[in-house]
Amino acid sequence: MQLVDRIEKRRFVGREFLLWVWFESEIFEGTLSTKEHGSFGMWIEQQIVLSSAKSEVTRIRGAHPAGSREAKEALRLGKLPETAGVHLSWREAESAFVLRAERLALSGLKLPAVLAGAEDEAPAALAPPRPPPRAKRGREDRAREDERLRDESHESFYERMHLTRDVESIVEALYRDFLSLRLGPSWGGVVVPALRAWVDPDGEVDADAYRAARSRRR
Amino acid sequence: MPALKGSLTYARFFVDGDLPDDFRERFMKSIRLRAMKPLDPDEDALERSGWCRVGEPFETDLGYEDVFYNEFVNLAFRTDRWVVPGPLLRARMREAEAAYLAKKGRERMSKREKTELKELVSKKLRRQLAPAMRAVDLSWSLKDGLVRFFSQAAAPAAAMNELFQKTFSLKLVPEAPYTLAARLGLKKAEESAWQDLEPTLLGGEGA
Repeated sequence: MQLVDRIEKRRFVGREFLLWVWFESEIFEGTLSTKEHGSFGMWIEQQIVLSSAKSEVTRIRGAHPAGSREAKEALRLGKLPETAGVHLSWREAESAFVLRAERLALSGLKLPAVLAGAEDEAPAALAPPRPPPRAKRGREDRAREDERLRDESHESFYERMHLTRDVESIVEALYRDFLSLRLGPSWGGVVVPALRAWVDPDGEVDADAYRAARSRRR
Repeated sequence: MPALKGSLTYARFFVDGDLPDDFRERFMKSIRLRAMKPLDPDEDALERSGWCRVGEPFETDLGYEDVFYNEFVNLAFRTDRWVVPGPLLRARMREAEAAYLAKKGRERMSKREKTELKELVSKKLRRQLAPAMRAVDLSWSLKDGLVRFFSQAAAPAAAMNELFQKTFSLKLVPEAPYTLAARLGLKKAEESAWQDLEPTLLGGEGA
């Protein structure tokens, strides 16, 4: 089988991963954990899009879109999440992004503003006054200024990539945990029954029992 | 310039293959060779892609410090394309056809004459227009063998892949549930479960 076929045939795994993240974030009240990262806050916010091959797309927007009745109804109709807004709170830093499940791609990733002013520039009216232009600047001054600007730009870039890598590493660690459940006996024995109970309007999931069972059988 | 500022929307690609020992010199040479060359209205090419400086699409004269940010290679993938507005082209064609027929003292033009005239009119219009330009940032972490391409659209990603392969002689593998699972590494039992994997049904038909 060609690589492209292998990729296409297993795109649904990304949707199941997003479903699992949504499920666990809800039953564990927005606190997830991985071995490498410890505990962190993660929940669905702003938007969720659910779809299936056979029915129309359900788009839900709002502060807690995943908690709506419509979202669970869509799951009962056989739809799975396609994209969702995710909030991540780790080491006192807040990030937000949209996870595109079938590609495991992040969009609109808002990083914590670590470098002062790196994320948002002040409007011109609020910006500190610039020094008056000098009629003749020496070549050396210009070169020094260019170098300073380049260094600043590079520093800001490294910091952004470092923060991006942090977010990606959490998503990857969660995906690895998901795979160990999805590809083991726990999926059918523990996770799917819990998912069905969670989706059922009359069902109930005992979070502690689920956590214990999933750890035991992993 | 998404790589340097603002929120980030990107697709990840993993680099398949090893870096050559002299990759810095070799890559610089190859990048310069494939730096963006602006379109000329009089040439036949209607579209062209090439590398430019990240965040600075008009900077095509690339130096080492423009490209190498410590262990990152940062570039922008620029594509220029001539886009002549249809109504403008049709109006100019009507004028040109009328002038041509009047000059020749004829009432009709052959198909070939029409094609040649259209080419002339298009070139004339292109001299008055600027090509449409799109530049997408790209950041390659050499340490992780990971390319972040700051667009999720399929067409620019496919064109970038082609130029990346020509420039660096390395293939890119797109991120997906399958490729990430393979990269993270599955145990033997998990690999076998992966082969037999079927979608989980929570509702609808078949649940």
